[in-house]
Amino acid sequence: MPAFTSPERKPGRAARLQLTGIRLDHRGGDGRPFRVLDLAGLAIPAGARVGLRGASGSGKTSLLHLVAGLIRPDAGSVSWGDMVVSELSTGARDRWRQATLGFVFQDFHLIPELDVAANITLPLTFSQWRIRPAEHERAAMLAARMGLTDLRRKAGVLSRGEQQRVAIARAVLLQPALILADEPTASLDAAHAAEVGALLVEVATETGATLICASHDTALLARMDRRIELAAAQAAPFESAA
Amino acid sequence: MNPFPMVWADIRALRWTALAIIALVALAVAVGVAIGAQERALRRSSAAAAEDFDLLIGAPGSQTQLLMSAVYLQPDAVPLMDGRLLNTLAQDERVAGVAPIAFGDVSKGYVIVGTTAAFAGRWGRLAPSQGRLFAREGEAVLGADVSYGLGDSIAPSHGVLGASARPGVAHEDEAGHRHAGHDYVAVGRLPRLGSPWDRAILVPVESVWEIHGLANGHAADDGRIGPPFDGPRIPGVPALVVKPRGVAGAYALRAQYRQGGTMAFFPAEVLVTLYRALGDVRSVLVAASFLNALLILAAVLLLLIAVAGLRRRRYAILRALGAPRGYVLLVVWLGMAGLIGAGCVAGLLAGAVLTTMLSGVIAGQTGLRLVFAIESQEIAFVAALLLIGSAITLVPALMSYRAPAVAGLRD
Repeated sequence: MPAFTSPERKPGRAARLQLTGIRLDHRGGDGRPFRVLDLAGLAIPAGARVGLRGASGSGKTSLLHLVAGLIRPDAGSVSWGDMVVSELSTGARDRWRQATLGFVFQDFHLIPELDVAANITLPLTFSQWRIRPAEHERAAMLAARMGLTDLRRKAGVLSRGEQQRVAIARAVLLQPALILADEPTASLDAAHAAEVGALLVEVATETGATLICASHDTALLARMDRRIELAAAQAAPFESAA
Repeated sequence: MNPFPMVWADIRALRWTALAIIALVALAVAVGVAIGAQERALRRSSAAAAEDFDLLIGAPGSQTQLLMSAVYLQPDAVPLMDGRLLNTLAQDERVAGVAPIAFGDVSKGYVIVGTTAAFAGRWGRLAPSQGRLFAREGEAVLGADVSYGLGDSIAPSHGVLGASARPGVAHEDEAGHRHAGHDYVAVGRLPRLGSPWDRAILVPVESVWEIHGLANGHAADDGRIGPPFDGPRIPGVPALVVKPRGVAGAYALRAQYRQGGTMAFFPAEVLVTLYRALGDVRSVLVAASFLNALLILAAVLLLLIAVAGLRRRRYAILRALGAPRGYVLLVVWLGMAGLIGAGCVAGLLAGAVLTTMLSGVIAGQTGLRLVFAIESQEIAFVAALLLIGSAITLVPALMSYRAPAVAGLRD
């Protein structure tokens, strides 16, 4: 049984994720800032599987975006091993993200006009012109592992469960050391949610990647080593100190 | 990086809108290309048609009218000049050849032109493609497009001014104005000239005179045709075409016959004036079509900005998956510039088709054969549009480049 790892590409080594003194403010509709996140400290060891739990608006998605380097905190830092991701330039964060990260979204976000194979290999086109035969093979192997048989079908015609399997295959193609999943099972029915949840955890375990899952799905959260409860930082708007 | 899979996906996502954008740009380009190419083709073929008409002499009047009548065979009532000038000019040492051009009759919508055999063969330049040139009165040589066959009998009718002549179709008035008993026999056919003369029936000028009840210009009634015209009375003719021996002689002849009851001019100088007016119109039209194309590009740009706005999330996803900002920039820009480029190429092709169709209409009306050619002007027109289009599509591309990924993800 071929594993999720491939001999051609060395898996990124998972590192310890450290968030320190994080504060994140957004501006509300009335233009007044409100605090989204207020975390004194959070450390996630390499290869851990962590569930983020919390009510809507508790900042689960924002925390994932912070870890992914898509946003920078208003205060504090995000470190991946020795690298302080929150201090990097936009371009450097783009490179770090491509080298390190796999992202799975609630609504899959495949490119509906591309077929299954092209969707899975899409992240390769961010950095190289041609997709090598070995990479095509790996994409096909991943698809098979995800239970997808027809690689030529357009993503737009797949069922929701199939779409999320393609999205997971896409996220792990480059063997990321860190997999972020934002409500990966919320758009699926119970049976598919269970399968997709199991696949996600399997992938992370086999590659030794750190997995962070924001979810309401208790079954999925139960598969994690550790669960973190996020409370809404401030229910009411407050005056920003800054 | 290779943005093309994503570019292709974006274009596929647009579906009919992509085709509509290409069609809009193509239309704008085609109109500009067609106007430029058409005007040049018209200029070239009309100049080619005037090639054997070095110097025209006629009764005083409008030079343009005489040019249109004698060279382009557009029927018009032209005053006659003294026919004796034929002999005077034939003896002039500055003249290599002189021939009358007498028109007024039609047959089946074809203009019948009375002239000499020498000019029917364009001073020796043309040999009949079939049969021979006329050698006696009552014989006719056909233009390449005349639908009569060799040996056919051709009944001339007096042309009616203002009658809408359709070559090949006998006008209903023709029957009422037929010159009875004066049929011609077709003895030869000329090769194609690409000019209105392809639709003319050439006959000896003597026959035209006689049909109209005039003398035939010869002293002895021995059936001889052509110069010298030694009769006591030489009937008048609407125009004389003169082939001068040299440039100096040509100018001297023109100066001499500009006075004393005649006018003389080089068709080329009248054409130059016409071309200048035509060129001004062309410039205005090309400029207008360029502005028109810019308007279409602006509308397309607005549409593409709206599309790029709707795709904020799509591109934000790419960023979250690790795509650098430059990749997103290239995807947006290549997709849009590609559509405009495709429109430009399609417009060149459509312009060629449009020009060919217009040329067909013009050929049908005038007999001028217009040859379509894309030249540097059209290429420059399309290149300028392509350049401007590529430049302005950088706007939505840069907007997508600068958009923070997370804003798109939160939509």
